[in-house]
Amino acid sequence: MPEFSLLYSAFSTAVSWESITVILGGVLLGYVVGVIPGLNRAVAIAIAIPLTFYMSPYAAISFLIGLSKGTAAGSAVSAILLNTPGESSSAATCLDGYPMARDGRPRTALKIGLLASVIGDLLATLLLIAVAIPFASVALKFGPYELAAILVFALIFIAGMAGGSFLKGMAAGGLGIILGTVGMDPETGAMRLTFGFIELMDGVPILPLVIGTLALSEMFVQLDEYRRNKGQKAINLSRNKEDNLKWSEFKTTLPTIFKGTAIGAFVGALPGLGPSVGSFMSYGAAKRAAKNPDTFGKGDPRGIAASESADNAVIPASYIPLFGLGIPGSVSAALLVGAFMIHGITVGPLMLREQPEMLFSLFSGMIVASLLMLAIGWYGLRIFAKITSIPSHMVIPIVIFLCLAGIQVQGFGTFGLLVVFGFSILGFFLKKFDYSFVTFLVAFIVTPMLELNLRQSIILSGGDIAILIDRPIAGFFVLLTLVLLVRFAWMGIQQRKKSLPNAD
Amino acid sequence: MLRINFWSGLVVIIFSITLLTWVIPTFGGGGFSFGLPPQLVATIGTWIMLLSATSLVVLSAVTIVRHKEPFIVGLNLSEIWHQVWPFLYVLFFIVLAIFLPLTWIAPFLIAGLLFILDERRWHIYLICSLTPTAGLYILTVYLMRIGVV
Amino acid sequence: MKLKNIVKTALITGALALSSSALADNFPSKPLSMVIGWGAGGSTDIQGRVLANVMSEHLGQPVNVINRPGAGGAVALQQLANSRDEGYTFVFGTSMSVTFGPLATPTNFDVDSFTYVAGVTLGQSAIVTGAGKPYSNWDEFLEFAKANPGTSYASQLPFDRMIVDYISKKEGLDLRIVPTSGGAGMAPLILSGDVDFAYSGGTHSGYATTGEMPVLASLADDRLVAFPDAPTLRELGYEIDPGEIRVVMVPKNTPESQVARLAEVLKLATQDPRFIEITEERILMPVVYMDGAEVHETLNNQVESFKTILEDIGGLAE
Repeated sequence: MPEFSLLYSAFSTAVSWESITVILGGVLLGYVVGVIPGLNRAVAIAIAIPLTFYMSPYAAISFLIGLSKGTAAGSAVSAILLNTPGESSSAATCLDGYPMARDGRPRTALKIGLLASVIGDLLATLLLIAVAIPFASVALKFGPYELAAILVFALIFIAGMAGGSFLKGMAAGGLGIILGTVGMDPETGAMRLTFGFIELMDGVPILPLVIGTLALSEMFVQLDEYRRNKGQKAINLSRNKEDNLKWSEFKTTLPTIFKGTAIGAFVGALPGLGPSVGSFMSYGAAKRAAKNPDTFGKGDPRGIAASESADNAVIPASYIPLFGLGIPGSVSAALLVGAFMIHGITVGPLMLREQPEMLFSLFSGMIVASLLMLAIGWYGLRIFAKITSIPSHMVIPIVIFLCLAGIQVQGFGTFGLLVVFGFSILGFFLKKFDYSFVTFLVAFIVTPMLELNLRQSIILSGGDIAILIDRPIAGFFVLLTLVLLVRFAWMGIQQRKKSLPNAD
Repeated sequence: MLRINFWSGLVVIIFSITLLTWVIPTFGGGGFSFGLPPQLVATIGTWIMLLSATSLVVLSAVTIVRHKEPFIVGLNLSEIWHQVWPFLYVLFFIVLAIFLPLTWIAPFLIAGLLFILDERRWHIYLICSLTPTAGLYILTVYLMRIGVV
Repeated sequence: MKLKNIVKTALITGALALSSSALADNFPSKPLSMVIGWGAGGSTDIQGRVLANVMSEHLGQPVNVINRPGAGGAVALQQLANSRDEGYTFVFGTSMSVTFGPLATPTNFDVDSFTYVAGVTLGQSAIVTGAGKPYSNWDEFLEFAKANPGTSYASQLPFDRMIVDYISKKEGLDLRIVPTSGGAGMAPLILSGDVDFAYSGGTHSGYATTGEMPVLASLADDRLVAFPDAPTLRELGYEIDPGEIRVVMVPKNTPESQVARLAEVLKLATQDPRFIEITEERILMPVVYMDGAEVHETLNNQVESFKTILEDIGGLAE
């Protein structure tokens, strides 16, 4: 158990002025990005990573976590006022948020969204703190056998769950695996798929890959969409006195919020599902549980509460496998791995041992971020409502510039710019043709870890599979993976059987 | 979406066959290893790609044939041009960035795109192009001290 | 002035090369660039940024820090080798990139492509083991390894693999060599006892007080500061001097007056409390001052001994 003084000093780091300023900056930026339709969390983190270079590791990571949380809360604003979710995970918020705003109660809708976001986020953060530390101390005993088994399990799970077409997800994941092997082979020292580029010796650099596939390509998609639908009108906040959230009304949404948080936290802790799944699951559950489900979709505050609480709960919960095992379960967690690496920290169970103070400071920082989110959202309501009307033709050029600048700042030079460009083309097609870039990215990041751990296992055991009997945890996960595979195959067959008669 | 699945799947198949027959054997690296041979993981990844793309192509082809839909619809050239020019635009500035620091060309990159997107108010040009550029300058020269990039 | 900046940055990008020997007398008359071949946040980077600050105070010109990570420092050196920047661009890095790097990977430079301004820090890498193993020093370890074929070793770089290959050949050991990535990958393997012994670049220094990562042998030319009891390889009878030096280097053609000026400043920097603090307390390596000629000679000897070893063990595993 950590000592009290450690906790105290960690917390005082988190509430120092410097730290609050950084987190505030992160949450604020995240909120703005979340509010602007078309700019999503991944774009925000990808282009903000270079911004954090001159910060201390703690400041950098809390900035990014603040950013990540801010986008989740901010995206509700455009969902409610514009009927366009700032983040795909807020799509469920549109269903009730926009009708409520059109009924002349935009402020109420925004406040319910904000409170649900903050509560969901705060509770899930507390859960993360409660679970991650014991989890990490167990995970410390994990060797290469356990990690290899868990990584295989996570990969299959993500491939099966990442949404969109399963086959297309697998194809994208395959490409991620291939790219993940680029670079010097750790065992033989041979160059793999580097084509003579010495810059590729350490593998495809993660930051240009991420900025290209997620951020720059998204701008090309947005440019295409901008041409199709110009001129959307946002709902303005009126000065109507009636339009305010009353305690009595908020009270009725509380049970929904708690349920949404639980669903979100559960979904977040499983790798690969992501916030969109969480918010829609929670929305569906709330609707099913309601006595009068007809009001849903016509401006029911519980609809907003369900979707937003789950959406925000997913983010902290998705850090449980990240801090506990070092396995990124979502795109934003994968990006954080990259940010940690840049600052010379390996995320995972060893953090608890080598940098406990850093870990606890981060946790305290997350709580601070939740509270700041509430303050910013509450008092900035009017300003953020204005931001929804920033036209995308002004946003797109600036973001394109930021993508290129991020690469130059990191020192990748021309090579990096070309890598970004190449991956923006890839990302464009992945998005246009609906191939899952989540599986692509997670496979790319997990493959080197998996390959290394698998190798270590094979060498250490001398290639003897009976080692699994000595390592029950690893054996358990191997079994679980097999079960999962059978289940996916069975589900696939069932689906085909069901869909075939309809197709005829 | 069916046609997209069919054609994109076909491209993926061609790509993975190239990988399997030429790229990985030639550039995949070699050498004796006790753990995993250097080319193994990349080869597995390619097979995953190949198999899922093949199933995708077969399934979508079957549905297309059943619904008696055409495999090819005429491509709209102006549509394609609208999707291609942003790439060429960015590529042009990347090539420029080989010779000039990004900080100097950034205002033109932003302003040029604004112009193409029908912005005509001069103050918008000033705000949108100069603020981010100044931000980059301050970040690189004063905060990170790596000089003008 | 603006134009000069443009030209300078183009130089850094490696796209252009330009001669400006007219500036030799009042060196430095414009900002300098310290190129670091490792990513931001690594130990070389942390140390390099402090060194750059100290140097700029003495030189009277800003020293900008540029990260050019990749290929164990080789990406940065490859660009430096082609540079004609007369001492305005220099690399701060580890000697391993110039000694072992060219032997292991095809590069356009070797140990003689650079002028070594000065060495400022000595590496502290070591062969380590875990707590609770049946051996506590090198001799006991050898006995154990000979009696137990399949003793496992965690390797991080082709370099340490070469050394262990050499030792195991000489002693007739049968080892299982496990690849791992960096100190963060090695530490869990050693702490959990999954691996019997390992190479460590500097991670063990952090465990000096807890005794969880005992050192079997020093891979520096002298004994380690934090583990004075562990013998060096030469003391153990192996003909290798693998000691790593953190050096400042410039291209070979750099005028001597510039090199001398930089060396002077580096000498002052090694006496600066800020540089000493970051090096000895944060990254736990001793600060020294080694002049350029001495560095070059040491490194030349290292390259020769590495070549001999490589011939001996039949080349790198390819």
